Amino acid sequence: MRRFALGLAVVFLVCLFSSSLFAAETFNLVIPLPLTGKQAKFGEMQKRSYEMAAEEINAKGGIKKKKLVLSFEDSGAKPETARAIVEKLIDVRKQPVIVGEYTSACAKAVAAVAEERKTPYLVVASADDNITQQNYKYVFRQNAVNAHYSDGVLDFLKKVVKPQTVAILYESSAFGTSGADAMVKDAGKLGVKILLKEKYEAGSVDFKPILSKVKAAQPDVLFMVSYVMDASLLMKQIKELRIDAKLFAGGAAGFAIPEFIDNAKDAAEYVISATLWTPQVKFVGAREYAEKYKAKYGDYPSYHGASAYSAMYVLKDTLDRAKDWSQDGIRNALKATNIKTAFGPIRFEDKEGYQNQNFMDTLVLQVQKGEFETIWPRQYASKQYIYPIPKWRDRK
Amino acid sequence: MSSAQLEVLLQTLISGLLLGGLYALIGIGMTLIMGVMKIINLAHGELMMVAMYIAYGLFTLFHLDPYLSVFIAAPALFVLGVLLQRFLINPVLKVDSILPENQVILTVGIGMVLANLATVFFTSDYRSTPVDYATKAWYLSDFWKGSPIELSLSFPWSISFLIAVAITIALWFFLAKTDTGKSIRATAQDNDAALLMGVNVGRMRVITFGLGSALVGAAGCLFIPIYYLYPDLGGQFTLIAFVITILGGLGSTVGAIVGGLILGVFESLTATYAGMGWAPVGRFVIFIAALIFIPGGVVSLLRRQKWGR
Repeated sequence: MRRFALGLAVVFLVCLFSSSLFAAETFNLVIPLPLTGKQAKFGEMQKRSYEMAAEEINAKGGIKKKKLVLSFEDSGAKPETARAIVEKLIDVRKQPVIVGEYTSACAKAVAAVAEERKTPYLVVASADDNITQQNYKYVFRQNAVNAHYSDGVLDFLKKVVKPQTVAILYESSAFGTSGADAMVKDAGKLGVKILLKEKYEAGSVDFKPILSKVKAAQPDVLFMVSYVMDASLLMKQIKELRIDAKLFAGGAAGFAIPEFIDNAKDAAEYVISATLWTPQVKFVGAREYAEKYKAKYGDYPSYHGASAYSAMYVLKDTLDRAKDWSQDGIRNALKATNIKTAFGPIRFEDKEGYQNQNFMDTLVLQVQKGEFETIWPRQYASKQYIYPIPKWRDRK
Repeated sequence: MSSAQLEVLLQTLISGLLLGGLYALIGIGMTLIMGVMKIINLAHGELMMVAMYIAYGLFTLFHLDPYLSVFIAAPALFVLGVLLQRFLINPVLKVDSILPENQVILTVGIGMVLANLATVFFTSDYRSTPVDYATKAWYLSDFWKGSPIELSLSFPWSISFLIAVAITIALWFFLAKTDTGKSIRATAQDNDAALLMGVNVGRMRVITFGLGSALVGAAGCLFIPIYYLYPDLGGQFTLIAFVITILGGLGSTVGAIVGGLILGVFESLTATYAGMGWAPVGRFVIFIAALIFIPGGVVSLLRRQKWGR
């Protein structure tokens, strides 16, 4: 009987010990994301990417021999929900670092909470400029800001196209307006004359009136900021009117997703567009990530996924280097980050009025033979760019 | 006026007329229902959306050309319209209530249900039917080598316009020459008198609602090759139809045609000369101006010339 009691005690102790040992061997991270509502598509893509990265990290021994365990909380892209989730994470669960969220509105709410509670927050895919412009010490952002989105396109214009004049068409939304305003500023720097700057209502049926005005103005470059369906309609009607600008450029969004080519078909040919990341880009691990994602989920991910995937590696790198896993220990390690990820090189800098912002080269895509190819900057290009482009009359 | 300016003006007018022809077809359906039933059908745009999903489905599954799907989508919409009128709107018409216009509110509800059903079944992704001739066009310089200006005429837009005109003529023929058509017009003119003359008014209402739905369904099929599709597209076209109905004169087919063309040309002109961001403003300016200055719509002006219906 005594032996039995002793045995029971031993078993009990072992259980206790192993469970405490087990607890010490994991690092639990809860990530707030939109998993329902309009933005759910992107939240889902990020969730999958976070999980893929965590699996890989754990397969290679985890972070400082601790297993990275992820779980997700749905914010529904509502700032107030995101805020509540993060308050709970910091106050109740004592999570020393926050990663995640998608929309800029949510990221702003989360950033305010994180800063207030002195907890480092890594922004993954929210582009609103002022998230990293508020002198926050604890907020870091690895994706490019809106204002720098078309840097790659500008560089391409400066070095290859050298236009004298540009016409800008943009949709009358916050996104369209900010994109067009950024272009106006940048055109000023390049010394390019703006012949025309016109907005349109998203969802318009007929762009031909405004396009015939563009045609009469004969700009060297036509720059457009639109979502996908407007982008396709614009290019189709440009083809129809045979507007022969030297180059058609899109400010990301509608011009950089596969649906654009599907809908505009041959009218999409030679159009260039800004983007942050592509599956063929020559960052270490980008291709592998994209192929693995495609094999698993049937589709290539967009930059949202790549950024989330890389965020886990940034986190691992930070935790590996951190002196201790306190909030300030992680914050200081995050500040010193300098690694190359599938999303490109990541370093958090203070410049141009931004704090803890990663400044990345944005890429330029061109539609070539019905496929997106990365054409700029040269070191990341998957194909040589095609310029000058043929006139509409001579195509086919 | 330089040749470049002339080119812009002519091209704008061409797009305006083509757009106006399609607008007219959307407007006619609404105005017909308005004339006979004295209600504004605010589910009009959503009915168009349903027809577009039918055309989209036929295109993706059977590669049926969207223009041919008019022959399937329009009858389908006729049936849908008849069912809606028979089982939803008619019962509400009979009920007395504090709100005299509760049938109108009902149509709003029907519209919402249709839009949400489409979201459930097709998700809110954008759809389109990428036809081969989507960007085909005729160019003036191809016909007249030395032309000082270049004008283009889009192939799908022109086809859509021509079919819209054909449908409108057929409708006019139906209303003017057939017994059923005459009965519909009689009901629209005077409900009670038509009843006394032995017209089955209840039946005419059902037929009219079906006919109005079929017309906007046809318009949907004509729109999809040049536009695209998503569940919430209805509202925008309901609004356009509404403006046309007011502009043309409530219940007048001729008015709707003229109203549609005016709206199309006006929108194009605003887009070119005031900026495209002003197009929605222009639409409402026309709407308010029509209400204030020609309360009977364009048709009242025509009638003064003994020309309207």
